[in-house]
Amino acid sequence: MRRMILSTLAALTLSTAALADVTGNLVLYTSQPNEDAQKTVDAFMAANPGVTVEWVRDGTPKIMAKFRAELEAGAPQADVLLIADSVTMEGLKAEGLLMAHPDADISAYEPGIMDADKSWFATKLITTGIVYNTSAPVQPASYADLTAADVTAAFMMPSPLASGAATIHMVALTDVPELGWGFYETLAKQGAVADGGNGGVLKAVAGGEKLYGFLVDFLAIREAAKGAPVKFVFPTEGVSAVSEPVAILADTKNPDAAKAFVDFLISAPGQQLTADMGYLPAHPAIAPPEGFPARDTIKILPFDPAKALTDEAANKARFTEMFGG
Amino acid sequence: MSDDARAAPDRWSGLRRLLGEPLLLALILLAALVLFVLPLGSVGRLALFATGGGSDAFVAALSSRSVQRALWHSLESSALAATLAAVVGGALGLLIGLSDLRGRVALSFAILMLIMIPPHVTAIAWMQMLGPSSVLLQALGMAPAPGTTNPLYSREGVIGLLALQQVPIVYLTMRAALRTLPRDLAEAARVNGAGPGRLLIRVILPLMAPAMLAGFALAFVSALGNFGVPALLGIPGRYVTLPVLMWQRLASSGPSVLVDMAVLAVLIGVLAVVAVSAQMRLTRAWSVALIGPPQQPLRLTLGRARRFVEVGLWAVLALVVLAPMLAMLATALVPTYGVRLSLQTATLDHFREVIFNQVVTVRAFANSAGLSIVAGAVVAGLALALGALQRGPFGGSARAVTTLAEIAYAVPGLVISVAFIIAFLKPLPGLGVSIYGTHWIILGAYLAAFLALGLKPVGVAYAALDPALEDAARVSGAAFWRRLWRIDAPLIAPAAASGAVLVMLTAWNEVTLSSILWARGTETLGTVIFNYEDGGYSTLASAMSIVSVLATLALMVLLHRVGRNLPPGIIPWRD
Amino acid sequence: MSITLLNLSRRYGPARAVDTLSANIPTGCFFTVLGPSGCGKSTLLRLIAGLEPLDDGAIALEGRTVARPGLHVPPEARGVGVVFQSYALWPHMDVLSNVAFPIEAAGARRPAARTEAARHLQSVALSGFADRMPSQLSGGQRQRVALARCLAARARIVLMDEPLANLDPHLRIAMEEEMAAFHARAEATTLFITHDQREAMALSDLVAVMRSGRFEQIASPQELHDRPANAFVAGFIGRGVVLQAEVMVTAPGRAVLRLSPGLQVDARAESAKPGPAQVLLRPSDLRLDASGVSGRVLTCAYRGDHWEARVQVDTVAQPLLLSLWQRAAPGDVLTLAVSGGWVLPQD
Repeated sequence: MRRMILSTLAALTLSTAALADVTGNLVLYTSQPNEDAQKTVDAFMAANPGVTVEWVRDGTPKIMAKFRAELEAGAPQADVLLIADSVTMEGLKAEGLLMAHPDADISAYEPGIMDADKSWFATKLITTGIVYNTSAPVQPASYADLTAADVTAAFMMPSPLASGAATIHMVALTDVPELGWGFYETLAKQGAVADGGNGGVLKAVAGGEKLYGFLVDFLAIREAAKGAPVKFVFPTEGVSAVSEPVAILADTKNPDAAKAFVDFLISAPGQQLTADMGYLPAHPAIAPPEGFPARDTIKILPFDPAKALTDEAANKARFTEMFGG
Repeated sequence: MSDDARAAPDRWSGLRRLLGEPLLLALILLAALVLFVLPLGSVGRLALFATGGGSDAFVAALSSRSVQRALWHSLESSALAATLAAVVGGALGLLIGLSDLRGRVALSFAILMLIMIPPHVTAIAWMQMLGPSSVLLQALGMAPAPGTTNPLYSREGVIGLLALQQVPIVYLTMRAALRTLPRDLAEAARVNGAGPGRLLIRVILPLMAPAMLAGFALAFVSALGNFGVPALLGIPGRYVTLPVLMWQRLASSGPSVLVDMAVLAVLIGVLAVVAVSAQMRLTRAWSVALIGPPQQPLRLTLGRARRFVEVGLWAVLALVVLAPMLAMLATALVPTYGVRLSLQTATLDHFREVIFNQVVTVRAFANSAGLSIVAGAVVAGLALALGALQRGPFGGSARAVTTLAEIAYAVPGLVISVAFIIAFLKPLPGLGVSIYGTHWIILGAYLAAFLALGLKPVGVAYAALDPALEDAARVSGAAFWRRLWRIDAPLIAPAAASGAVLVMLTAWNEVTLSSILWARGTETLGTVIFNYEDGGYSTLASAMSIVSVLATLALMVLLHRVGRNLPPGIIPWRD
Repeated sequence: MSITLLNLSRRYGPARAVDTLSANIPTGCFFTVLGPSGCGKSTLLRLIAGLEPLDDGAIALEGRTVARPGLHVPPEARGVGVVFQSYALWPHMDVLSNVAFPIEAAGARRPAARTEAARHLQSVALSGFADRMPSQLSGGQRQRVALARCLAARARIVLMDEPLANLDPHLRIAMEEEMAAFHARAEATTLFITHDQREAMALSDLVAVMRSGRFEQIASPQELHDRPANAFVAGFIGRGVVLQAEVMVTAPGRAVLRLSPGLQVDARAESAKPGPAQVLLRPSDLRLDASGVSGRVLTCAYRGDHWEARVQVDTVAQPLLLSLWQRAAPGDVLTLAVSGGWVLPQD
């Protein structure tokens, strides 16, 4: 039954796209892993043969630095941003750097996860929890378990300076009353390492150099399915979540193609692709991929984007003081 | 004819003469302005005079804990690595240069691999060889226990790999110096009753001291500018050097930190230039003029020890060159990092992914190939032109450009790329377009940083040229461009070509310059490998590294072939 | 005048390689500059060719001023040909291309240039070597290619910088004849640089003896030998001894001098005045004579077709040189007479 609905939806979206008949080049700046970015772009181009998408991948803070430099050079390259967190998007929106897409169809989504002004759109749900190497002596179930000295010594987390999801994770965790900044302080004191992006953490834990880490869900679950010796845990306190939003830049040279790209990502086929790649889709009607618990069993930590934006610099400075640049 | 000759001075006065050497000089000076003066000048201007710059900025930078730490790490790691490299490279140079070991060219080639494999690839390979999931160590039952931090993520790891990479630099300077050592000197010592030991200590080592010092200084400067090793090993090891600190700040914060970057760039740039000029002074002060033409080098017989020395050398080289590459190959073949390699798990997926699927890697191969070929060709042309100008009435200007090129070569690559961002981020005046984010800015940085590499062999070739050949062409009535094209270019071509290949190899392997200059569409091989590894995609990084190392080897073999008819000293590993 | 040099100077730092030098070289003349190494003769050639700028003075070729302070016509526009000591054949071009190069540089198309070059090769008897590379030729053949290239430039003035210095001695004699033939064929003014007086004597119409950047004397070979202008030229050209003497009696073209008490000589002279003077005694001015003064043989060296003895006469300050038809041993006592000499002009 569900399959039927999906294929109808797919046909519908495809025909809308065909009607718009978009062409030209589109430049995507994304923080998705390379392989996923390539797959996303390939699927979009298959659906819109007139459009050629070029993409650049780096961690959210780094891709934003590149974007800013190009803005400074007077030659912004990107048409579309697909990055980890909505906090950064809010900032860009406030600066007037985003273009709204009022025709976007977000009726299928729960209110609240999309920007009310349709300036940016959530594409998936990426939670950050705990990963451990299957050969590890301890199988942590909560954040509190990580403060055991021998666990912390073999613990690693992505740096908020390199990963957007890690920034949100830090903000969400420090807002939990029983954890707070004291929790990070303890981790730092006991020798935990904060370095690079999520990929680096996966590599360290899978390679056995570290045994425990903070990691985004899909990386751990997907690589475990391929045989990597890792396991993902949704801690009892809850997970932080980012929505990997997509947005069109005000400077875009090809707004039609950019809109088509956004439409594609939030369409049912686009969301199905997301699930197929191993992500928890944002669309409520699309089933989560294998290895994920049912969506309503996942406990998501509360998080205030406006406060996060104002406190961003202070938070990062505080973190850097603890863990070093 | 005589009528023509009589009319000649009128034709020659004026425009036509201006179109000869002065035109070329103007072009060269323009290139020097764009490549050296403008970028390095803007760094200085920003660091010294911009708001937020000036002496306060230097004081602030030097009193910042992270800068102090990075500066100290830079100095400490470079000095220790250069010392280690001087000892090992010097010993290798003496051993291979003075003994009757067999296969000296092959040994040199293998030693050169240490520097021809780029730093970030070396770092990746060693990390995989020595980590807990090392296939090699697991097979030997010596793998560190799970949960053990990679031993290379440390001060010692950074210094060790830096030293390893600088060994060929010292080795090459020693070999070059030994080639100029007149055999008579050694023979005179032996006739006067000195045994091999005394000969080495009393005659050869004192004569080799300037070369050793030069090798040390070159290794120091090269280690100071190294980015790949301290970035990949030092960041997780909390051992951040100045270039890495600059990259971290620039990559995460963008142009808002340019003034701070300029200050740091001036700091480390001055450090490098001071080191090089101190070395030049000391070398001049220490060197004894050697009398007599270079001869067939001395061959001390090792006797029965020869076989053992040969086996030992090859074993060590296999361990430091081949084994890390095999470890990297193993990583490239497993489905995901951490899985053990076996016949069942082995897969070529990552190779397929980087060669066929990933648009960015395909683009990076094309970009790096194109950029290095163009950079090599342009450097060869510039070197040819500079050499020709150096003999003429504008020799002074040409030598000044050469000096600028040498300064740019000594300065760390990251300083060059920061300089290019500062100079060319804003749209070009008059054109309204910025070259930032285009291939041009990367090409410019390559030309600035690597010109000196191409100048060396061409300079040697020009010096070896009989000046009468040029004079003969002049009195035969050939004007400047005809001489350049018909006489100089063909005669210098082999040396220029080998210079071009050296530049191509370096550009193909570099990551420092493009690490902050790349943009969408201008990704280079180095940045993609580095970003894969930095982002945790070790399997893809490894597969790409393997492909790039194979390409490097192919280029080196090509150079070996091209260099067959060149005078000695141009192809580094040839005798 | 084909080559006119006026107060020509070229300095390297404080050293003067060419020092206020003046000369007129007539059209068609084979003019040799002879001097020891380091006398500035190569610099002079390079100044005339335009390969070096002058510091002072002027150079005119065929009546056209090509160099003076503020004017430097580059070599490619002077229309002079140069044969270099190393021949300077371009190693990457075959023989024919080497010879064709100046013709092409003058504006001819390549096929035409090659046809003409082939003709010049023929004139130096190298037609069969057109497609050889310079490295495949012998020294003499290279020399001839260099000459052919010079012919091809059709220069009215040819400068040669010790072109025979790199040849084997036996080849040198043969090439001297070729040089003379070349000079006749080219009908050009030739300036020939050498340190070898035998070459200079054999080839030249005029020889300039050069020392320290200046010409000491310009004269025909015979005059240089017989009537050297000063002690340097006398010592540099031919064998001989210059002695201090006292002019006793003078006559037009002659003078009687006293070398020592009891030894007088009737010598050729020009404007000699009574009083102290220098006299040049060549071996041909001395002969064995039983009625002469006696001297002791110091050394005796074989010179190819005769023996040359250094003989010390007690009353003369320096040993004299004497040609002998047979060997004398050191210590032998000979009696000899002085039959002539040349009184060096006084300043």
